[in-house]
Amino acid sequence: MTDWVIGVDVGGTFTDFSARNKKDHHIQVHKRPSTPDDPSRAILEGLRELLDIADIDGAEIARIAHGTTVATNALLQRRGAEIGVVTTKGFRDLLEIGRQVRPKIYDLQTDAPPPLALRQNRLEISERIGAEGEVVSALEMADVEALINEVRSLDGVESIAVCTLFSFLNPTHEQLIAKALRNAFPGVVVSVSSDVQPEFREYERFSTTVINAFLQPEVSRYMDKLSRALGNVAPNAKLGIFQSSGGLMSVGKATEFPVRTALSGPAAGAVGAAAAGAASGISDIVTLDMGGTSTDVCLIRNGKTEIANMRDIAGFRIRLPMVDIHTVGAGGGSIAHIGSDGLMKVGPESAGAVPGPACYGHGGVLPTVSDANVVLGRLPEALAGGLCLDKEKAFQAIERIAKPLGLSVTATALGIAGIVTSNMTRAIRAVSTEKGHDPRNFVLMPFGGAGGLHATDVAKSLGLSRVIVPNSPGILCADGLIESDLQENFVATSRARMNEDLIAVKEALARLDAQADKWIVSETDSASPAQKNASVDMRYVGQNYELPVMIENAQSSPQLPDRETLIEGFFAAHLRSYGYVDRDAPVEVMNVRLKAVAPLGQAMAQPESPKGPPTPDVIQDVWFSADAPLSTPVYQREVLPIGTTLTGPAIIAQFDATTCVPPDATVTVDAALNLIVELQDA
Amino acid sequence: MPEAVSIDPIALEISWNGLKSIADECFLTIMRSAFSTNIKERHDHSTAIADANGRLIVQAEMALPIHLASMSGLMTCILAQYRDTIKPGDIFIGNDPHVAGGTHLPDINLAMPVFDGDQLIGFVANIVHHADVGGAAVGSMSGGLDEIFTEGLRIPIVRLFDGGELQDDIMRLLMLNMRLPAERKGDLNAQIAAAKLGNQRISEFLETHGADYTVRLFDEIVRRTNRRMRAAIEKLPNGSYSFSDVMDDDGAGTEDILITLKITKSDHDIFFDFAGSDDQVLGNFNLTFNATQSAVCYALKALLDPEVPNNQGIFDAIRIEAPPGSFVNCVSPAPVAMRANTCQRVVDVVIGALAEALPDQVVGAANGANTSAVFSGIDPRTSQQYVYLETLGGGMGARATKDGKDGVQVNITNTSNLPVEAIEMEYPLRVEDYALIADSGGAGKHRGGMGIRRSIRPVGHTCEFNGVGERFRNQPWGIFGGQSGAAGMFEMVDCKGNTTSLSSKASRVKLSPDARVVISTPGAGGYGAPEDRKPEALAEDQASGKFTKGFLASNYARKD
Repeated sequence: MTDWVIGVDVGGTFTDFSARNKKDHHIQVHKRPSTPDDPSRAILEGLRELLDIADIDGAEIARIAHGTTVATNALLQRRGAEIGVVTTKGFRDLLEIGRQVRPKIYDLQTDAPPPLALRQNRLEISERIGAEGEVVSALEMADVEALINEVRSLDGVESIAVCTLFSFLNPTHEQLIAKALRNAFPGVVVSVSSDVQPEFREYERFSTTVINAFLQPEVSRYMDKLSRALGNVAPNAKLGIFQSSGGLMSVGKATEFPVRTALSGPAAGAVGAAAAGAASGISDIVTLDMGGTSTDVCLIRNGKTEIANMRDIAGFRIRLPMVDIHTVGAGGGSIAHIGSDGLMKVGPESAGAVPGPACYGHGGVLPTVSDANVVLGRLPEALAGGLCLDKEKAFQAIERIAKPLGLSVTATALGIAGIVTSNMTRAIRAVSTEKGHDPRNFVLMPFGGAGGLHATDVAKSLGLSRVIVPNSPGILCADGLIESDLQENFVATSRARMNEDLIAVKEALARLDAQADKWIVSETDSASPAQKNASVDMRYVGQNYELPVMIENAQSSPQLPDRETLIEGFFAAHLRSYGYVDRDAPVEVMNVRLKAVAPLGQAMAQPESPKGPPTPDVIQDVWFSADAPLSTPVYQREVLPIGTTLTGPAIIAQFDATTCVPPDATVTVDAALNLIVELQDA
Repeated sequence: MPEAVSIDPIALEISWNGLKSIADECFLTIMRSAFSTNIKERHDHSTAIADANGRLIVQAEMALPIHLASMSGLMTCILAQYRDTIKPGDIFIGNDPHVAGGTHLPDINLAMPVFDGDQLIGFVANIVHHADVGGAAVGSMSGGLDEIFTEGLRIPIVRLFDGGELQDDIMRLLMLNMRLPAERKGDLNAQIAAAKLGNQRISEFLETHGADYTVRLFDEIVRRTNRRMRAAIEKLPNGSYSFSDVMDDDGAGTEDILITLKITKSDHDIFFDFAGSDDQVLGNFNLTFNATQSAVCYALKALLDPEVPNNQGIFDAIRIEAPPGSFVNCVSPAPVAMRANTCQRVVDVVIGALAEALPDQVVGAANGANTSAVFSGIDPRTSQQYVYLETLGGGMGARATKDGKDGVQVNITNTSNLPVEAIEMEYPLRVEDYALIADSGGAGKHRGGMGIRRSIRPVGHTCEFNGVGERFRNQPWGIFGGQSGAAGMFEMVDCKGNTTSLSSKASRVKLSPDARVVISTPGAGGYGAPEDRKPEALAEDQASGKFTKGFLASNYARKD
C-alpha cells in the first residue's frame, strides 16, 4: 500500500523530514545536517534513516514533496550557466539598465549586480510587435539564420533566453526564434519570455526569463540526479517540487521553469503556518520564522498566505506569483555590536553555523542573540537532542560588549533581546500597515529555532494579545510540504477599459481555462477534482500599478462577471489597500490570472495527546527585567498533554525550539497540540 | 541648555527605532492614501519629526535628500511667525521657496505641532510633490518661465487647521488655483491623515516615556549624530579646497552659469563658501538656500558616512554661506522649478573640491542632470490629450576601485523609468531603441559610466517635444587624470534621416509621424590615468561593444 506522504525541506543547516501516514495519520519527523555541496545526498541518507526509524518500506511512499534551495543558492552565489539572450533590435541593454535606479541613494560605491548575461552574449534581431499585438516589423528567416551563426560563435553558452517586446500579446516571433535555436543547438536549453511569464512590463519579464535560463542547466542536473536516486528508494513515489507561489509542481515543470523555485523553502514555511493555524481555528496570522541569520515575516489572511507578484532576490528581479515574505537580517546567530553612533546594534552580521554563537562552544567569541538568551536563562543549557550550551562562554561573549557600554551583563543581554524585538516590530509593522492591515487583528506565530524565544516580546510591542506556537516549530516547512497541493498559475495581459467591450478579456480567460484543463490532464491524476481560481488585475486609468480582484463564481470554469461586479470588486480592493475610492474615475483591466489547484487529499492529522504528567524538568532563574530573576520552571513540551494550562513564567523546551512564556501570560496546549499563549496586558 | 543626562545606548537605540517607525508609518500612510501616481509609484514625498525648536530629529527611511533641508526651512518659518500662538490641533501649510522654506512650488509642506499638556514637544511634518500647483503651464514645472509668480500658486506659511478646525476658506483658495482640484484634495488629505497619525503616535510615545525623557531623547539624537558627523569631518586633512563648474544655460538666455565653492576645513569644523558664484538667473534653475544646503549635505554624507542618520545634527556640523541673490541662494522673484539639475551640479562641485582630500571616496562627475523629456499631443485613437513625462539616468562617475555604473540615476535623484511596453500601450508613441551609448564613458584607470539613448517617434499623429538637459556642452569631468564623459544631446531625425540638433532646453518642438527624437544623456568622467587601465578591462570594453576600437586606440595610448 502507498500510504505515506513525505515532506523534505532542505535548509542551509538542516534537511528536515516530515512523514505522514494517510490512513492512520501517524507522523514521523526527522532532521539531519544538510550537504550543501550536493543537497541530494542529505535527502537520500536522511530518507533512509527516516524509513529505518519509522519502519516504513520505501515502496509504501506515495508522494515526496520537496522544498529546495538549489535555485536560491545558485542565484545568491551567482553560480549558474553561461547564458545567451536574444532580444528585439535596439534593446539589448534593457536588461542592464533595468529600472535605472541604484540600490542605496547615499552610497556612491554600491551598484546593482551586473546582468547574468554578458553584453556580447546579448544578441539583437530585427523584428517588432506593437502594443496591439500587431506585427510592426516582420521577422525575416534570413535574420534568424544569421542569428544562429552568431550564437554558434559564442563561447560555452549552455542556455539561451529569448525575450522580445510585446511577446506576451503575440508570441509568434519568440516561438519561431526559439524553434530555430532548439533545432540548431539540441544541447542548449531555451527559455522563452512568453512561456515563462506572458505579462507586460518588459524588464521584469526579461529578467525573470534570463534568471530561468541561468538556473535551468544546474536545476535540471539536480532534478535528474534526485529523481533517479529517489526512484531506487521509493519506486512508487511521485516527486513534487514546491514553488514559490505555495504549491507543488512536477519535476518536469520544475526543470522547465526553475525560476519558480527561487523562494521554495520560505514559502513552504508560510504554507505550514497556515495549516498549523487552521488546526487551531486561527486564520489571521503574522508569521515569525526566526532562523540563525535572518527572520522571515509573512501575513496570512483568512487562512491564505498573501501573494506578491514581484520580488528581488540577490538584486535580480523576478516577476511571478510568490508567497509575500519579508526578510529581516536578524536571527539567533546575529552579532551584537556598537555602531559608529555609539549605540548597540544587532545584526545583520551573523556568527553563522561556523563558528556559531559563543554558547555553542565551536570557537565563537562574539556576542550573539543566542548568547543573550542563554545568559537570561531563556535558552536552557541542556537542549533536547543532547546538545549542551556553554553558559560561561555566553557570559564572556556578552561581557565583551557590556564593558564598553558600561552596563551589567544582564542589562546588556536584556538590551540585545529588546533590540531584536524592536527590529522585528518595525518589520512587521511595515509589512502589515503597508498593505493596509492593522497587526493587532492578527495572531503571531513564531517558528524556526528561535522564534518562540522572542515572540511574546514582539507581540506585546505590537499590541497583539495572542501567540500560537505550532506543534513542531523546527520543521514547519517540511510540514507545509505535506499539506500542499499541486498548483499551476496562468497569466495573460489583456487590457480593456471598463466602459469598453470586455470580449477580449473574456476570451483571454477562456484561453487560460483551456490551458488549465490541459494542465489538469497532463499533470494531475484526476483523483480529486481540480479547483480553478481566477482573478483580474485592475487599476484606475493612468495608474501604473494594479490590484488583483478575485472572481468568485461557482462554475467549474470561471466566467468573467458583469461589469458592475468587477468595478465594485476593484473599489473594495482599492479601499482596503489605499484607503479611498474615486467612484467617478475610469477603471481598466490589465491582466487576467488563473490558478489551478489539484488537492492531493492529505487529511488533517489528529495528534495524539502526550501522557504527561506536566511536571517541570528543572526550575531555573530567568531574567525578564533587570531588577531580579524569576524562578521559572522548564517543561519538556512532549510531557504537556492536551488541555494543559500553565501560568508564566515558564520555559517550554522541545527537540529543536524553545518557547519563553513571560510572567504575565498563560499558555494552553490545544487539541492540535499547538501552544496558545494569551498575553495579559496587551 | 543644561548638559542632558545621558540615555543608555540600548534604551536610546530602541526609542530611536520607535521614532523611526513613526516617521515610516506616516510615510506609508501618504503612499497608501495619496491620489496621484507621482506619490504611489515614484514616492516623491517625505516625512519627519522635529523638536520644539524646529530641529529635525528623525526622517523616514525612504525620505528624499532634496526634502531634508526643506522641512527644516519650514520649521524655521513656522516658529519665526507663530511661535507663541501655536496650539494643539493646528496644522500649518506652505510651499513658497522664498518665504516658507520650500525649494520649488510643487512641494507642499505640512506640519502639525505635538503637545504634552500645554508644553510644545515638537512637530510632525511631511512634504508631497503635487502634480500641479497652478501657474502658467500644466505640471508647474515648465521651462521658459522667468518669475516665480508664473510657476504656480505661492503659499506662505498659513494655518490650514486652527485648533483642529479646517480653515475652509484657505482650502477653497488653494483648490481654485490648482488644475486638478479633486486630485490635489486627495493628496492633501493623505498629508493631513499622515500628520494626524504622527501626532497620535508621538502622543502615545509621550504617554509611555514622558515629556522629559522624550525631550532628552531628541537632544541625544541630534548630539550623537552631530558628533558622528564631526568625527567623520575630523578625518579630512585640514586645509582649504576649491572647485568651480558651470551649468550649460538656463533656457532664458544665460549661458555658462558659474558655481564656485571654497571649502575650509579646520579640525571638526567645515565651512562651505559659495562666494563668487554667478547671480541668480532669469530661467528657473535657481536654488534657494535650502536646496543648496540639501545638495551639500547629500554630497558630504555620501562621501563621509552614507549611513549617518538624517537630522539636525548634520546641519549643525556644516556651515554654509552663499551670497543672497546668487544662483545658489536666490531671492524673490527668482523662478526655481528645475532646481534638481542645479542641485546635481552642486553635488559635483562638492565632490570635485574634496577630491584631493578624499581620493578613495570621490567619483568622477556623473551625468550631472535630471534629463527630462515630455511628449504631448492628441491621441489619434481616442482624440484625448496625453502628456508623457520621463526623467532619464545616464553615466555615474568612475570610482577609486571600479568603473562608474552605466545608465543609472545619480546623486540626489533615483526615480525609475517607465517600461517601453507601458509607454506604448498608454501613449501613441513608439520607442525605437533604449541603449547604452558607445564611447560615452570617460576614459580612465576606471572608466566613467555610459549615457542612455532613447529614440521616440509619434505614431499616426504629430506631437510636441519639450526637454530639459544639462551637460550638453560642459562635459562631465574626470578626476586624477580620468577623461571627461560624453556630453548629452537632443536631436530630431526626419523621414529622410537628416539630423537636427535641438537645444538642451528644447521647447515646443513639433514632431511629425515620420520623425523621431533621439535623447542622449551624458556619460560620466573617468578616474585615474587611462594608461593605468588594466589590459583585461580594455579587452572587456571592446568585447562588450561598449567602446569602439577607434575610441580605445585614441584614448588609451600605452605609456611605452
